[in-house]
Amino acid sequence: MNKKAFLVDTTKCSGCRACQVACKQWNNLPAESTTFFGGPEYTNPAELSAITFNHVKFFPVDLSKPEKPVWTIMHKKCYHCENANCQNACPENAIRRLDGWTVIDHSRCIGCGACTEACVYNVPHVLEDDMSEYGTEQPLVSGKAYKCHACTVNTRDIPACASVCPTNALTYGNREDLVKKAKARLDKVKPEYPHASIYGLKEFDGLGVITILKNSPDKFGLPVNPKPISAEKIMTIHAMYAFLNHFTLGLPSLKRTAYRISKNLVG
Amino acid sequence: MGSNAAENHPISFKWVEKAIEERNAKLIVVDPRITKSASLATLYAPLRSGTDIAFLGGIINYALQKNLIQKEYVLEYTNASYLVSTDFKFDDGLFSGYDAAKRKYDNKTWAYQMDEKGVPKQDKSLKDPQCVYQLLKTHYSRYTPEKVESITGCPQKTFLKVAEMFVSTHKPDKVATIMYAMGTTQHTVGTQNVRAFSVLQLLMGNMGLAGGGINALRGESNVQGSTDHGLLYHIIPGYLPAPDSKKHATLAQYNESAPKTNDPMSINWWSNRPKYLVSMLKAWYGDAATKENDFCYDWFPKLSKPTPYIVLFEDMLKGVIKGAFYMGTNPIVGGPNTNRAIKAMENLDWLVAADLWETDSAIFWRRPGVNPEKIKTEVFLLPAAASIEKEGSVSNSGRWAQWRYKAVKPPGDAKPDLDMLDLILKEVQSLYAKEGGKFPDPILKVNWNYTAEGEHEPSPHLVAKEINGYTWADKKQLESFMLLKDDGSTASGCWIYCGSYPGENLMARRGTDEGPNGIGMYPGWAWCWPINRRIIYNRASVNRKGQPWDPKRAVVTWDGTAWKGDVVDGGAKFGPDTKNPFIMNDEGVGRLFAKGLVDGPFPEHFEPMESPVQNMLNSQKVNPASLILEEVGEFGSVVHYPYIGTSYRVTEHWQAGAMTRNLPWLTELVPDMFCEISPTLAKLKGIKNGDKVKIFNNRGKISAFALVTERIRPLKVAGKDVEMVGMIWHFGQGCSATGDSCNLLTPSIGDANTMIPEYKAFLVDIKKEEA
Repeated sequence: MNKKAFLVDTTKCSGCRACQVACKQWNNLPAESTTFFGGPEYTNPAELSAITFNHVKFFPVDLSKPEKPVWTIMHKKCYHCENANCQNACPENAIRRLDGWTVIDHSRCIGCGACTEACVYNVPHVLEDDMSEYGTEQPLVSGKAYKCHACTVNTRDIPACASVCPTNALTYGNREDLVKKAKARLDKVKPEYPHASIYGLKEFDGLGVITILKNSPDKFGLPVNPKPISAEKIMTIHAMYAFLNHFTLGLPSLKRTAYRISKNLVG
Repeated sequence: MGSNAAENHPISFKWVEKAIEERNAKLIVVDPRITKSASLATLYAPLRSGTDIAFLGGIINYALQKNLIQKEYVLEYTNASYLVSTDFKFDDGLFSGYDAAKRKYDNKTWAYQMDEKGVPKQDKSLKDPQCVYQLLKTHYSRYTPEKVESITGCPQKTFLKVAEMFVSTHKPDKVATIMYAMGTTQHTVGTQNVRAFSVLQLLMGNMGLAGGGINALRGESNVQGSTDHGLLYHIIPGYLPAPDSKKHATLAQYNESAPKTNDPMSINWWSNRPKYLVSMLKAWYGDAATKENDFCYDWFPKLSKPTPYIVLFEDMLKGVIKGAFYMGTNPIVGGPNTNRAIKAMENLDWLVAADLWETDSAIFWRRPGVNPEKIKTEVFLLPAAASIEKEGSVSNSGRWAQWRYKAVKPPGDAKPDLDMLDLILKEVQSLYAKEGGKFPDPILKVNWNYTAEGEHEPSPHLVAKEINGYTWADKKQLESFMLLKDDGSTASGCWIYCGSYPGENLMARRGTDEGPNGIGMYPGWAWCWPINRRIIYNRASVNRKGQPWDPKRAVVTWDGTAWKGDVVDGGAKFGPDTKNPFIMNDEGVGRLFAKGLVDGPFPEHFEPMESPVQNMLNSQKVNPASLILEEVGEFGSVVHYPYIGTSYRVTEHWQAGAMTRNLPWLTELVPDMFCEISPTLAKLKGIKNGDKVKIFNNRGKISAFALVTERIRPLKVAGKDVEMVGMIWHFGQGCSATGDSCNLLTPSIGDANTMIPEYKAFLVDIKKEEA
């Protein structure tokens, strides 16, 4: 097995946000217009978006032990689920697995937002305004969904974010090795953080981003035992969409409407 | 302590975290705020800004009372056993020799008792009441845990945990390092803060060892290089003291002032000073510098008064300084009390700003709210090349000079600093040649040959070769400063760099061999001053027999006839039992009691100039020898401005922000000026997270967003809660992301020794901005 993955170790992150900037630089993504901070502490912007593929989230500090303040700073991006809701929900088969990564094929994407709704992590976003001066191999265009592609577009040996982390809080490697490393690290940090946990081993048949947390996942907004979307429901929506698609003349705007109607009809 | 390395030196934190993970190292963070560094610490202790000496004095007291010191090291390698003059006194915050009218000490009584040979007397039993050890013990006995708590606001329980953990490194095979930065130095007691680190580390036997020492984390990649080459007003290249126009009117007087010793155990390296000065004069003035004219010593600029940063701006205000060059500096954002600095700049006839972008300072004449027609200053903007657009060396705080290459051409007309200076000098020379002038010789006869035959631009290699030094007669590059002479036969721009470019450019080396002893010295990577010694004062890493205190982390070892390991300090011919290790001190040992500073031989706690409380250790409020300029007016009082103001940086912005506030990816992360306050202060003032606030004092008023965070907490000082307003200082009115500079609020008062301004502790008030 040569399946790759990222390991995010929040017990080591110093919050320098080099990952966030490196991603924007390598993928030539525009800066968002921000004021003050968008989320807790230094978090900026508030969340991932169509032009922010990875993001560092600062949580409020936990002062239950004043001599050992716990301030969690967490790198977040697409978790690259093995069995991905976004992929299953996409009516156009625009999302596929590529070398173990969940990647959007923009030639197929119609910007219907099915992936955005299906993702429990709030990862893919449809770009509203055209930003075609940005992007690498393909410009960023309105009406298409964007998210982290693990640098499989404009490729490099180590994805940009992981290549710049100064403290090894974000590493990249063989998933099996990283799982072993994460488990060993968990044992090591347990005395310091008794409720520490690992996220991503089992969720959606295993995530491509494994995260070591200082507490249980729910404390950091990560769903515990997240459920895959209902295959039956998806099939019904897709069947309805396939029918309505005959009347869309291949136009993305009509396709989006067709998807919306299908979704609403199925409920 | 005094450093938030995780925030401001994130790459350095890689190694801190490696030590924690691989060597089970413990990290103690002492800081007024819960910082990113604090969040990764084993133990966090809060302290009120400006009370470092109280905290460190408490640890020194803890170590001395419990006798947890590295006794053999302290006896052999510090002045603990040296007897101090009976005329030396300390009373209620004042050392003997104080002149209140001049705010100055005469340090005559801060002296050792000498024997008939002129060697300091010692009492190796450490029992004599006049020995340094006893004086130190008495001095710090006042720094009890109770006092530490009431002054610093750090709970006793936490303080004692820090003391216990730190002092555990007094064992010979345990070691601790102290990382500090501007949080330590930017106080009226800044130098004494660093001294307190040194005293503690000497008592622990942690100086000169692998993993020991005190580590200044520099604010920029080449701060070390700039001080090495004499950028500060009080030193000239190679840390030679700047000549004083009265005390050092002649070369003989300057040379006579070099430190002396009669102690056969002392190497007293500064006795070589005349060789270094003459070689430097030869490098500057070349053929014009002869023995007969004292190597043009008369041409060399001398200090008629101390001219630190604050004084320069006062002199602009007075019209003494009429023109200024800003090269890579942005004082309107970076300097203290900037409303006053701006007034001073408006008094200039001309200003040249050389920078990558148009900085806040370069546009001071058309800043928001002023009429440019009313400002007489003529401003020139010179576009500068960035670090990747030019070649040269940078020196890090480990003293490694690393050569960097030019990766891309500078855009447009932008030029490296060297090219700018070269063009300016040549232009000034031709003006002098044409029009004459008052004192043309130092300009016209300067030895300035940095442009190779057939080239148009000066070469940094030729500069580096001159810095290294060469024989004057046959221009042969020198291998080491041991070869420098005081007779004009050698030239060297900066003696400590002699050996960096002996033929081959050693700074360009990229050898990846770890080197001896497995302690990561990497002797083949770049070049380290002096003479590629990776750990200075390494003679202190072994006992008098030459055996390492910690055999697992040996730096050097004496095998009975020769030294192995790192390049040994002070000359390889001397064994460990014949010479003392601290070769730059004339007594050759580390100074627990130091005569060399202007404000006292022991660090003593004084309050910042602006403080919310009285001094609880003595009745002097502020450092009695700190620089107070009458003309800057009154300082703020707690009655009007009840909260401590302090300033710091964030990862996303760089210094005064000219390099980062134009970069969209960084301003996306930190787009605005903000301050950090505690939830309790926020509640009191009706401020919510994200509200706009006004922060003000008698020097200025700024607008900022408020970040309300539990990471800031009021501290109990003398039984009362004291609140703090933390501010970043990156913003200004130039560049694409603008905001108010926090330095509109900082005071024009400096540390007694370096006169670095007190940016880290002052007084402010805060209120919610009306919508």
